[in-house]
Amino acid sequence: MANMSSGSQPPPYEPYRHLKTLNAHERAVSCVKFSIDGTLLASASLDKTVIIWSSANFALLHRLVGHSEGVSDVAWSYDSHYICSASDDRTLRIWDALSPTGECVKTLRGHSNFVFCVNFNPQSNLIVSGSFDETIRIWEVKTGRCLHSIPAHALPVTSVSFNRDGSLIVSGSHDGTCKIWDAASGTCLKTLIEDKVPAVSFAKFSPNGKFILVATLNDTLKLWNYSTGKFLKSYIGHVNRVYCVTSTFSVTNGKYIVSGSEDHCVYLWDIQGKNMVQKLEGHSDTVISVTCHPNVNMIASASLDGDRTVRIWVQDAHD
Amino acid sequence: MNAPIIDPLQGDFPEVIEEYLEHGVMKCIAFNRRGTLLAAGCSDGSCIIWDFETRGIAKELRDKDCIVAITSVCWSKYGHRILVSAADRSLTLWDVMKGEKISRTTLQQTPLQARLHPGSTPSLCLACPLSSAPMIVDLNTGSTTVLPVSDPDTGNGAAPPSRNKFSDGSLPFTPTAACFNKYGDIVYVGNSKGEILVVDYKSIQVRAMVPISGATVIKNIVFSRNGQYLLTNSNDRTIRIYENLLPLKDGLKTLDNINETVDGLDGVEKLKAVGSKCLTLFREFQDSITKVHWKAPCFSGDGEWVIGGSASKGEHKIYIWDRAGHLVKILEGPKEALIDLAWHPVHPIVVSVSLTGLIYIWAKDYTENWSAFAPDFKELEENEEYVEREDEFDLIPETEKVKESDVNEDDEVDIVTVDKDSAFSDSDMSEEELCFLPAIPSPDIPEAPEKCMESLSKLVESNNSGSPLSEEGEPNGRAMNHASSPLEEDAGGTRVKRKRKPSEKGLELQAEKVRKPLKSSGSRSSKLKNKSVVDHDTGNGLYGDDVSDDDN
Repeated sequence: MANMSSGSQPPPYEPYRHLKTLNAHERAVSCVKFSIDGTLLASASLDKTVIIWSSANFALLHRLVGHSEGVSDVAWSYDSHYICSASDDRTLRIWDALSPTGECVKTLRGHSNFVFCVNFNPQSNLIVSGSFDETIRIWEVKTGRCLHSIPAHALPVTSVSFNRDGSLIVSGSHDGTCKIWDAASGTCLKTLIEDKVPAVSFAKFSPNGKFILVATLNDTLKLWNYSTGKFLKSYIGHVNRVYCVTSTFSVTNGKYIVSGSEDHCVYLWDIQGKNMVQKLEGHSDTVISVTCHPNVNMIASASLDGDRTVRIWVQDAHD
Repeated sequence: MNAPIIDPLQGDFPEVIEEYLEHGVMKCIAFNRRGTLLAAGCSDGSCIIWDFETRGIAKELRDKDCIVAITSVCWSKYGHRILVSAADRSLTLWDVMKGEKISRTTLQQTPLQARLHPGSTPSLCLACPLSSAPMIVDLNTGSTTVLPVSDPDTGNGAAPPSRNKFSDGSLPFTPTAACFNKYGDIVYVGNSKGEILVVDYKSIQVRAMVPISGATVIKNIVFSRNGQYLLTNSNDRTIRIYENLLPLKDGLKTLDNINETVDGLDGVEKLKAVGSKCLTLFREFQDSITKVHWKAPCFSGDGEWVIGGSASKGEHKIYIWDRAGHLVKILEGPKEALIDLAWHPVHPIVVSVSLTGLIYIWAKDYTENWSAFAPDFKELEENEEYVEREDEFDLIPETEKVKESDVNEDDEVDIVTVDKDSAFSDSDMSEEELCFLPAIPSPDIPEAPEKCMESLSKLVESNNSGSPLSEEGEPNGRAMNHASSPLEEDAGGTRVKRKRKPSEKGLELQAEKVRKPLKSSGSRSSKLKNKSVVDHDTGNGLYGDDVSDDDN
């Protein structure tokens, strides 16, 4: 089917179209994530709740209530059973996504300021969180104890995530640096970027763990090879100066980079050619978060206070 | 993996105790193939599986029928099963994922060691009882096949090779060691006369014999993971390494071939001749000064290092040799005898079990790598003379700005293909490996009021450097000065991690930082944490330790 190997003509790009708008949050939506198996979609909001939707029919399944302040980030465990949410009330909460009542199983305390970003490791026995208190904390899922507290940056940590085998953590921060940490010991292994400006708003490993996608608040997305410390591709055209807009890889039908933008659109770039292939319009405020379904050509995007919706976009399959 | 950016200059063997694990009295340990889980057999008959990444308990295998001490634990190749042998003469096979017993067999005598066949779904195991010949046990049927422990020709006292029960009339044997080779088609037996026998267990025949000089009882016999080297531990206080000359697969066929080439010899002589083509002595290790007996010797994961524990009571010493024969390190632990030892399959970590039932984890001493914080800097081992270019210091303003990347932005990037892990080349993806047990968060108990936890945290930790920087001016400054004492005991027997030793520069910077509020990301806080190891629900309250809920 569609393969982008050099030599053969890639099939014509089939644009994504808007499928549905999910309107259930009372304030800005801060994050959307598909579960790893693709059956559920989680959305977190400044209205202090997390909503779980079915990704088959987008019915609202649960509303997870418990945080006392807005929720900034949400992450799925790799068996899609648990969700962890990071909130401005300085805690992280682990919820059972499959239980009928949507109960909070655990609360992780320890940060002394807003918890901004969170992620599970592939084995899902560890959770990494980054906070406005400039530290990164690694927690054990089973007991909830904090295994490491790393004084990682000089300004709020905006993004943390594990690589494919859970041995490395990449973190980005407003202090302009992007660092790589050893997950087992908490020591810093490498600093990718060290300029004080622009701030790094998002960082994430590629699916094979060899590259890191880094977003900086100068309207740029860069793909770095972390072992050589050089960036290989840069993607521009969107607007990103203020918010920590998330971006992701789309690999279900050709390789793309998908990102939100402050001009209310979702941008898609071809990963090799770096050209923008599509701009999805429809939101009425900054698109702060995007997520790609693991199997189907589907993108979900979330927008801030002026819009408060989650929009689903699909790409019709080729013949 | 993070191989490309780890500093290759640091030696590859552990140096200090990093942590200890406590849960009941543990007797024997075994890593799973990838080293993500550690199984420990306890004196109360249960087997604990530790998640080695989080250092917490992942699962507990407990059988109400078995309440006596476990003598050995062994993982199946892909980690789905564990074989446990206990002091009540039983062998129990467990399904790890479900935590259920699959089968239980009772033998004539307590097996000191039981090893599962190294194939993918083993139903056979090799058991070495306390004072009789090793046997192959079929775990499904319970039938046992006793292996020969000496050449049948020499007569007196040879174990009857038939499937009869062990008859009391024969000579009592001292414990005999045995192990499978890498693919499990041959068993290597080390008997009490100091001979290594190469046994085909299907035909119950001794195919070759390698006598060890000194002819003393062989206490342990073990293969390296790649099957290239064989280690024996003899009563003459020497550890010997043999190189395996047989091919890893088809060993039996090669033995047949060798047999044919060795004509004109009979009986013992023939076996010895064949034996000389199976194994050659490579190295001998001993401590000629203290002449200490060795306990639980084994190879490192890649076979580059050999470790042996000192069997002297009252001391916990681990000797590390490289394969060339040099003693590189002696690790000394607290004054408790060592009863078991294991090297992590992948990382330079050694785990030892002491007589008191604690598991000590030995790891490398981390020194902070400062070049990790500055991407353009490279740490040098010593001063290098720098010769500048002729025009290096010329004032040419245009060339200052050469920060443009010279990388070809048109190259293809591959974000999806995964590199094969070379350390595990023999994993034939036919069966899925069990690398970790799903972590199920244990539910919080209804929380005690906030006040309670705060006062608890203040009592327990006077030195909480886990707290983030912006709150206090100098948590790190104080803690860092303890760089010299690697292990600090805390009251209450809670588990403590050793502190990291900062590099020279780190200590300097710390001294400066004590005065100013810490803002830079360069400082490192030591990891003094009080955690309760055992996973019981009441332990959840203790995570309040790390709270510094100072609302200033």
